[in-house]
Amino acid sequence: MAPAMPLRIAVAGKGGAGKSMIAGTMARALARRGHSVLALGTDAMPGLTHSLGAPPSLEPALAEAVEPDGRRWRLKKGIGPVRAVQRYATTAPDGVRLLDCGTPTGRGADPVYASISAFAQVIRRLEDANAFRDWTLVGDLAAGPEPAAVNWAPYADTWLVVVEPTWKSVLTARRIARITRSRAGKSTLLVMNKASESGLRAAEQMLGERVFASIPADGAVIDADRAGVAPIDHSPSSPAVHAIERLVEALERASIDRMVKS
Amino acid sequence: MKIIVAGKGGVGKTTISGTIARSLARSGHSVLALDADNNPMLGISLGVGPERTDELGTLRQALESGEVAHQPSTAGAIETFGTDAPDGVRLVVLSRIDRADPG
Repeated sequence: MAPAMPLRIAVAGKGGAGKSMIAGTMARALARRGHSVLALGTDAMPGLTHSLGAPPSLEPALAEAVEPDGRRWRLKKGIGPVRAVQRYATTAPDGVRLLDCGTPTGRGADPVYASISAFAQVIRRLEDANAFRDWTLVGDLAAGPEPAAVNWAPYADTWLVVVEPTWKSVLTARRIARITRSRAGKSTLLVMNKASESGLRAAEQMLGERVFASIPADGAVIDADRAGVAPIDHSPSSPAVHAIERLVEALERASIDRMVKS
Repeated sequence: MKIIVAGKGGVGKTTISGTIARSLARSGHSVLALDADNNPMLGISLGVGPERTDELGTLRQALESGEVAHQPSTAGAIETFGTDAPDGVRLVVLSRIDRADPG
């Protein structure tokens, strides 16, 4: 298969909207289409690990990548994006690499802060890292508008804002989209999740705009979560997984269109 | 009594908080509902309505604009910067993130 044109995607939205499920399933689907995929777990909740089907990590992954520097943490000498991924990323099925900012453990806050600080420094260097020029990056962000406001995905050229058909989710998505659209050169696309056909129309009215893609409400996603298995492994032919595969194809087309125009 | 509601995103923290606040108010309590989420949606669950919830002033804005400096007490701040929700619940929103951080 010819190497696929790399995508740079951040997934944002309200808590529980389905960000991790969509980001993880997208990452797997992109890898199956020939992309080299680096998934970036930017949320201290481990949702992305589950939706990718990656091995659970028991320690904050990047804590060892930094050393104290006064009251801050500094990346150790020789550790940039390449070394960080080699040493600290896990490997999910289909060859997806997962670099995770780290989940709190019972051993106090310090390892988590160290890991998150290392992660923040690594992702800020990703966009300029030659070694990742041909990689597709998929970032799963923490809930709400804050990760967009402080830009926890500086590498992203496309923001997917996941929204479900409730007012809380719609107001959150509108807030996030206002923030990401205030930055030049980024594309912001809304993705409806858990909507029926009629729910989709109603939610688009609430949003005040059409969505880029819609992923239907699907019991298979809940079953996969209960079984602790990635949706793409648990129910590969379910409506939700199919819709995410179509979303991935649409993102590839949109990316080519943008390149042709520029 | 003083109640804090926490949990993972989307599990229903806001819905449960808002409904507890309304129920307590109906059984005679004076209720202060504090929205401490920087993506504040408690107004929706209290019944303030989505458009108003989206535009409620926050205590942080009031502090930054200097208005709240003239309020010597917590009670005064709640009186001045809170909003009335149904059943007499008083809603105070602490902060809202709605623009890109220039830093």
